Amino acid sequence: MDKEKFNELCHDLAPRSDHTLTEAILQEVSSFQAGHQNKRLPVIWIETSDSGDNNIAFLNSTYPYAGQVFTDMIDLLYCNSFMTAQGKHALNILEQAAVMLKGQFTLVVEGAIPLKDNGLYNVIIRTENRNITALEAVNWLGNLAKYVVAMGTCASFGGVSSARPNITGSVAVRQVLNREIINVSGCPVNPDWFVGTLAHLLMYGRPELDDLGRPTLFYGYTVHRHCQRRSYFDKGDFAENLGDIECMFSLGCMGPRTGADCPYRQWINYVNWPVRANTPCIGCTNEDFPDGSTPFFTPLSEKGSDKDKEINLPPNRKETNKWQKRG
Amino acid sequence: MAKKRVMFSPVTRLEGLLSVEVTLDGDRVVNANASSTAFRGFEWIMRDRHVTDAVYMTQRICGICSTAHGAVASYLLDELYDNTLSENAQLMRNIMYASDIIQNHIRHFYLFGLPDYVRMPQRPPFHGQNLSDARLNPKDDQRLLENYFEAIKVSQKSHEILALFGGKAPHQHSFVHGGVSVAPTADKINRALALAKTVSEFVKGKLVPDTELIARAYSDYYQIGVTEGQFLSFGLFRFGPKNERLLLKNGVQKGNRLIPLDIGLINEDITNSWFSTAFEQGSNGKELIPNPYKPGAYTWSKSVTYGGHHYEVGPLARMIINGKYRGGASTMDRIYARTLETVHFTQLMEDWLKRVKPGPAPIEQKKTPVKNKVVATTDAMRGALLHSAWIEDEQVVRYNIITPSVWNFSPKDEYGRLGPAEGALVGTVVPRQEMLFNVLGRIIRSFDPCLQCATHVLDMRGNVKKESLL
Repeated sequence: MDKEKFNELCHDLAPRSDHTLTEAILQEVSSFQAGHQNKRLPVIWIETSDSGDNNIAFLNSTYPYAGQVFTDMIDLLYCNSFMTAQGKHALNILEQAAVMLKGQFTLVVEGAIPLKDNGLYNVIIRTENRNITALEAVNWLGNLAKYVVAMGTCASFGGVSSARPNITGSVAVRQVLNREIINVSGCPVNPDWFVGTLAHLLMYGRPELDDLGRPTLFYGYTVHRHCQRRSYFDKGDFAENLGDIECMFSLGCMGPRTGADCPYRQWINYVNWPVRANTPCIGCTNEDFPDGSTPFFTPLSEKGSDKDKEINLPPNRKETNKWQKRG
Repeated sequence: MAKKRVMFSPVTRLEGLLSVEVTLDGDRVVNANASSTAFRGFEWIMRDRHVTDAVYMTQRICGICSTAHGAVASYLLDELYDNTLSENAQLMRNIMYASDIIQNHIRHFYLFGLPDYVRMPQRPPFHGQNLSDARLNPKDDQRLLENYFEAIKVSQKSHEILALFGGKAPHQHSFVHGGVSVAPTADKINRALALAKTVSEFVKGKLVPDTELIARAYSDYYQIGVTEGQFLSFGLFRFGPKNERLLLKNGVQKGNRLIPLDIGLINEDITNSWFSTAFEQGSNGKELIPNPYKPGAYTWSKSVTYGGHHYEVGPLARMIINGKYRGGASTMDRIYARTLETVHFTQLMEDWLKRVKPGPAPIEQKKTPVKNKVVATTDAMRGALLHSAWIEDEQVVRYNIITPSVWNFSPKDEYGRLGPAEGALVGTVVPRQEMLFNVLGRIIRSFDPCLQCATHVLDMRGNVKKESLL
């Protein structure tokens, strides 16, 4: 079954409660798995300028667990964090994989790319003779890869690594490579967004992307749209302190302009997410995170960006809006 | 025999980017330069931001011990704003903190450490394993391999506890200044207790025997990778309304002597680091500026000393300072102490979960700072962590951080004295040439290196004294 047909089927049958959808696609999924027993996605994963949070986030994947991803879904050919080979043996593997699987492998970049001083602020490998910078490695591998996945907000948009004053001149992968980048943003990335994107690449190829290059599967709606506290917002009932149960807009919540499915997907085996933890969404999937989100605990309309002033509050907010009275 | 220089890069299975260049004289390591090859400039990033942003921003320094940065930033804000903590708040904070440390220790042992000692399957990401010193029998190899995959699930469960109370992981949201934003409801406590029990059973039933097995099979590593045995800890797990009580005490251990800690004795040196100094505009002080072209320098980490000496930090330091471990300062001691600490912390976490009283969110944030300069400390997973802030009108003027890996992966200081990890490498005898990376990798990984957090800079002005920590 081709991708369009599959999508159509899912759309048509999803609202029915009689399990017609399961019935219709189960056979397709089974036959795909049977026919692709040995098909795994070859992946080269390089870590550049970030905090390592994305590979830890990946390890929090459930169903499939990260171990199952390693064995059943991807061939993780090079990855500084998880590979067994070390030193020049690891470098040899990287070179061989890149050349032998040219045009076939998926490049995962975890982190931003410093440009200043020839990229010397991030050297991923040193040899006796020279430094291999993140800049050089991304240019080299990015032009050989079939797909390039920017994992996390630093790789997708520069993120914290390029926060002001950005003395290393760090940029996103899309500012280094002149090709399509699949941005899977988040600080860190939710493992479902990352593993889900890899699964899509394996089974159906390129996922549909939004205007920021992110899979619409995960980033298509704002946090605000599905927030459990939306009714508080609509009634103008705002939290005064962290820990309160009302709408977090008054405490800096970025939900109204943050594309992510956190409210219903949640984190770490679907147990919680920041707003449910009585704290604001800080907009970590956004193009302008963190500078567009700070000060974190200041309401969106007061953070300074003209765009944010346009966020429409409900009409009755002036009467009931407690956060404005705080001064 | 002529001396030979070998570049060990990349050192894989750690957090961040590390290269180590060693000089060999025959079969003996006679010099080692540990290079942290990434720099992000976090102290600059923190400037001119609202100081309360520190609780979320500084977690982005390190994704594997993010709670540690969130914690020490919270302690710092508690003091700046003069918050008063309830017992429930402290219990909840410490439960979150312990759950993050436990996930770190389990992941370190199995995901990063195990392939140094155990035969892995010959497929990605385990391909290309050097098996020249694999000593376990096939049955033990198989058992430990199964535990590798189970460890992935169990460490996820430890992070599930963190997310239950912290909203997400890494970079939790609710352990902030003034307490904890989440209400410890009975259902959450019960769920966390069930998860904690699973984690604890794995730690006692798998991690401990697996550590013992590796310690027996590789017992020569009690003599390999030895440091001078000088340990430092800032203590761990704060209690009391003003964070004044430490469950695990701080201190400095030299031989058998435990000396009270005085943070005014901390000093940093940039002789071999990619930094230069320049006069700062509009100020009398000097500022450090990154200089990747500095001749002779080889790392972004600086050389940090206490009272003029290098100190090892981490679980072994904590266990020795608190009288919970009596042993040496070797590769295997470091691994063993980390496992024993994991057992200890899983017990503490379960006890704390039973002591938390279900109720509303234990948080009360004061709104106006009472100080403008504060230094806060804690121990992170891998050792001593310090944050300091100088603020004006709640805006950060200076924010400084000294992380654990800066202690352990200090480059040589101005007198040419080696940092702990470099010192542990020098003197090592490599029995067979093909084992070089095995031996070096085992020694280096026993420090649980996390070079993400060494990728910042401190703008200390000359010597770090109490008044100039800012």
